[in-house]
Amino acid sequence: MNIKDKFGKNLSDMDFNPGIPFIMHLDINSCFATIEQQANPFLRGKPLVVAAYDSPGGCVLAPSIEAKRIGIKVGMRVKDAKEIFPKVVVLPSDPWKYRNVHLSLRRILSDYTDKLVPKSIDEFVLNLEGYPCLIKRDIKDIAKEIKLRIKNEIGEWMSVSVGISTNRFLAKLGSSLHKPDGLDEINKNNYLDIYSNLKLTDLNGIKVRNSIRLNGVGIFSVLDFYNAPLWKLKSSFKSINGLYWYLRLRGWEIDDFKTKRRSYGNSYALPKPFKTVKELTPILMKLVEKMSFRLRMANYKANGIHLAIYYRDHTFWHKGVKTKKELFSTQDIYKEMFRLLSLSYLGKPVREIFVSCFNLVGSFVSQLELFNDVPKKEKLIKSIDQINNRWGEFVIFSAKMSNTENYIPDRIAFGGVKELEEFTLR
Amino acid sequence: MIQKINAPVSVNLSYDSLNKKVSINEVIWNNKIYPIVKLGLHHFFRRGRTLYHVFSVASENLFFRLILNSETLHWNLEQIADEY
Repeated sequence: MNIKDKFGKNLSDMDFNPGIPFIMHLDINSCFATIEQQANPFLRGKPLVVAAYDSPGGCVLAPSIEAKRIGIKVGMRVKDAKEIFPKVVVLPSDPWKYRNVHLSLRRILSDYTDKLVPKSIDEFVLNLEGYPCLIKRDIKDIAKEIKLRIKNEIGEWMSVSVGISTNRFLAKLGSSLHKPDGLDEINKNNYLDIYSNLKLTDLNGIKVRNSIRLNGVGIFSVLDFYNAPLWKLKSSFKSINGLYWYLRLRGWEIDDFKTKRRSYGNSYALPKPFKTVKELTPILMKLVEKMSFRLRMANYKANGIHLAIYYRDHTFWHKGVKTKKELFSTQDIYKEMFRLLSLSYLGKPVREIFVSCFNLVGSFVSQLELFNDVPKKEKLIKSIDQINNRWGEFVIFSAKMSNTENYIPDRIAFGGVKELEEFTLR
Repeated sequence: MIQKINAPVSVNLSYDSLNKKVSINEVIWNNKIYPIVKLGLHHFFRRGRTLYHVFSVASENLFFRLILNSETLHWNLEQIADEY
């Protein structure tokens, strides 16, 4: 449905949504670190960080609430966090621990609505409109009950911030107003008070560049942003985004679209400055193996591949190609990837490798080939996948992947939820 | 400080059918009995088809990460940590 059909023709004269707030946004506070503190009581109340690697150059993925209070932030290096607080506890990430808590939380929330959308490992959006839980109760009561159930059923150290409003954007904004353990509603009666206490960059999606863009048309505060006429926002953003912001700030829903899986990808930040083909190919093989296994588990084949390399001198190279052949086997995808690798700047130390495949097609029907027995190959690969599924990842693997046991550990993707779909469906 | 152990361990566990709750009462390791005062978190993962249960528990002074292989029903002490 297009926006004019959804909201009527007179878009330039819209007030704040007068409806009852039914959208709830939940955010686990300092997710990974809080879960570690839940698991180990001796860590509670102490500054700790969960890092990609516990070495000095490791990236901080999640600081605890106590670490945040003393200035440790996501994205810092471990050595910088230690400079701020030398006794900070550094833990490696434990993906399955966090996935289990995500699933437990999902189980609790699904008691209230089936319109439940996980936005990431630590964020959920619930639409409670018309659901029985709201017949005799206020939505804030439901939020309080959910907070209590999380403490009773997952762990007493777990806390979530909850925001309630008429659209997803304002519900998320509400959840960020009082962290940790907040509960805030943004509605037609209080939105002006809330907006008047916020900076432009407090809005999710407005950072420095968008803020400068808005300053350029005389918008310096959230209230200015709200009061700006539609034509001004359109001229500032020079795209449909002006209209989206106009509607979002007025509490109308425009972010409830579903995205479809378009690609599969894996990446790895190299611990050493590898630069030769001999050093890079085992890593490439393992990345392709992980990616193609996920592709096959979801019953897809791909008609395109992409390789991107980020070098230690901060330069970047990437190339994607469409393929005539539908790719599904690790060997075939690797062959194509290797071709791309040979076109890159070999000899320069590499920091990060990204592989992906796109143009996905369902793998129910196979395109036969003149010189290859495709059904036979499919059966073989399916059998290998079944063995790896039964006995564990990489029980059978390509010889090219030898000596890569310590490389490319299990990780949780930042922000994305597609990866979560894969393990919840298994 | 965290210390990786990876050794077999004896565990005294009980199940309360009324409340549907599993409790770990004691961990017996290196000929010492550690009464468990807190179950921090229980989670699980699969390696192949085998399901492993992970119990993060604490005695008065020590944290234990215990793993139960649901196929063999053998327990493994993966990690201990004392107060930081």
